Amino acid sequence: MSDNRFKLHPVTTIINFVKGLKDLLIPFLIIFAANGFNLSFNPKEEGFWAELIPLAVMTILTILYLFNGIIKWWTFVYWFEDDELRVKYGLLVKKKRYIPFDRIQSFNYKEGIFHRVFGLVQVMVETAGSTDGKPEVILTAITKEAANQIEQVTRKVKQTKMEGVLEDEDGVDILEKDSNDHQQRIILKMKVKDLIILASTSNGIGVVLAGVAAVLSQFSEFIPYERIFEEVSSLIKFGVVVVAITIFAALFIAWLISVIITFINYYDYTVIEEDERITITRGLLEKKRITIPLNRIQAIKIIESPLKQIFGYSSVVVESASAGYGEKDKKMTLFPLISKREVYNTLRDLVPAFEWEQPLTKPPKKAKPFFYRIDFLWLVPIIALSSYFWFPYGLLSILIIVPVILIGLWQYKTTGFAIKGNQLTIVYRGISRVTFVVEKKRIQAMQSKQSYFQKRKNIASVQATVMSGMTGATAKAAHLNVHDAEQVLLWFEKGVSEKTF
Amino acid sequence: MRNELMYHIPKKGLTVWRLYGLFNTLFLLILAGVASFLTYKFDWPIFIYFIAGGIVVLSAITLIWLFPNIRWNHWRYEVREHEIEIQSGLFVVTTTLIPMVRVQHVDTAQGPILKKYDLSNISISTAATTHVIPMLITNDADQLRARISVLARVAEDDV
Repeated sequence: MSDNRFKLHPVTTIINFVKGLKDLLIPFLIIFAANGFNLSFNPKEEGFWAELIPLAVMTILTILYLFNGIIKWWTFVYWFEDDELRVKYGLLVKKKRYIPFDRIQSFNYKEGIFHRVFGLVQVMVETAGSTDGKPEVILTAITKEAANQIEQVTRKVKQTKMEGVLEDEDGVDILEKDSNDHQQRIILKMKVKDLIILASTSNGIGVVLAGVAAVLSQFSEFIPYERIFEEVSSLIKFGVVVVAITIFAALFIAWLISVIITFINYYDYTVIEEDERITITRGLLEKKRITIPLNRIQAIKIIESPLKQIFGYSSVVVESASAGYGEKDKKMTLFPLISKREVYNTLRDLVPAFEWEQPLTKPPKKAKPFFYRIDFLWLVPIIALSSYFWFPYGLLSILIIVPVILIGLWQYKTTGFAIKGNQLTIVYRGISRVTFVVEKKRIQAMQSKQSYFQKRKNIASVQATVMSGMTGATAKAAHLNVHDAEQVLLWFEKGVSEKTF
Repeated sequence: MRNELMYHIPKKGLTVWRLYGLFNTLFLLILAGVASFLTYKFDWPIFIYFIAGGIVVLSAITLIWLFPNIRWNHWRYEVREHEIEIQSGLFVVTTTLIPMVRVQHVDTAQGPILKKYDLSNISISTAATTHVIPMLITNDADQLRARISVLARVAEDDV
């Protein structure tokens, strides 16, 4: 191994600095808002110096951040030695981190705007141990060649260790997608139409609306409500049509924002399978490239929100052993949007071992009330209180019962499970319909649950927990026949002990 | 039906749970005392006395007598060659099945009260979950821990 030590690209300084500034932005705004935006620059005015103090603090902090960025870049070196990736940084407290190459699970890449101007990437090194959602090592900005070099060195070492278990031996340019690696398979590529549908069916619109509302409430001081009310009342005089148009326009703007956000995040969303790894690239302004080794996937979930279900779409999420992958979320979205017709074929292509469509064992008819009865526990007090305090109108709260029961019945209709070989499928619904598919060897623990009332009716729930991030992910098939629930436990008990996998 | 599991928690465990219940009740009693005192001082409505008293009596009955009993009755466990099975719960009885191959590590823990009664909690961790068998005689707990670790070592894991 060469003992060459590598530095990050100098742009790192700016990136670190900007990242730091982002944290400062909110306190900054708060201070300005507290001052009511009327900073005076006249030293003779009263309170001028007092107002200056926070500003001075902010300025000093900014300079500190800048220095911090420079020092981080100045001291940061990485090199390869003894089949390890070694990283050293820090001025006063020196930190060293050595990662053996065969412990590295994957490299993930991110290209922000700064990166793209200079042809750089941010590299995040993931190991099995990084379950707290943070990558083991982040190389903030290095050239693409350097990134390739790291990946190649890692590969070479891994291959010599495996003694040619992998037949693919080359230094193929991994960052270039159009390289001549014939093992690459494109699993999914999202088109513009898909993106628009994704934007329309995701919760994005709701979030945007909430955001707009939040911003409005922030600036409520500055909004002359009384005048608006006057105008609104005159609007109503204009007629319902105008109001409807206004509401429609607001919704349209929210939708448009949602579309734009979706485009920025998901533009050119491509899923590629190569070498037992799945690689996802996406992003318009900030390009991201995430790699998941297939054998780290613990369970696959097909999620259909009601809106998506109506239009015949679903999304696919994987639970994977090491969390993060440069994302905050523990679970990793594999397909943000895929039509129901294609989803099974695509997944079959990806994981041939799994059976996707099979008849489900359903909960018995007598289990129906269990799906909504538990909700009465919190419903009854709420209804009682609101009926008592707002007497005549509070009684209307009784109407909540109707949607609650309907959702319960819907959950009842959805719930089911299926066992085939070493595969367990659990289908359940909170609001969205979730199909949870897992292999027996990935299940960490299984539980059956039975309350006193369930026991009387011979009903029990089962749930399976798989590893996912720090806490694990659980799928529950609720209110099954006791016999069926026991069947699941028995299936689990049998296979794991005999090592049939 | 699945077979009933073999092992109960020692009777001493029940005593400790009652003790915990007693502490909780005492804490509530202090709160109720403060509330009553304030009511007396500031002439708050009388019904506050009844509510405070009611809560204390109710918690005394449930936390000291009823809940520990039910919980003790539900707690069972069995450590077999290939799996650990634990049954627990108060209102909802949960049966948990943990394959030996999934066990990552086993801990025993003992607080001051448990130490006085020579009891230990044993917790079994998989990659995703942690399961506790509480209130075992310390000796048994240590033996069990050693046994699980031996059994779990037999098969290596590849998560």
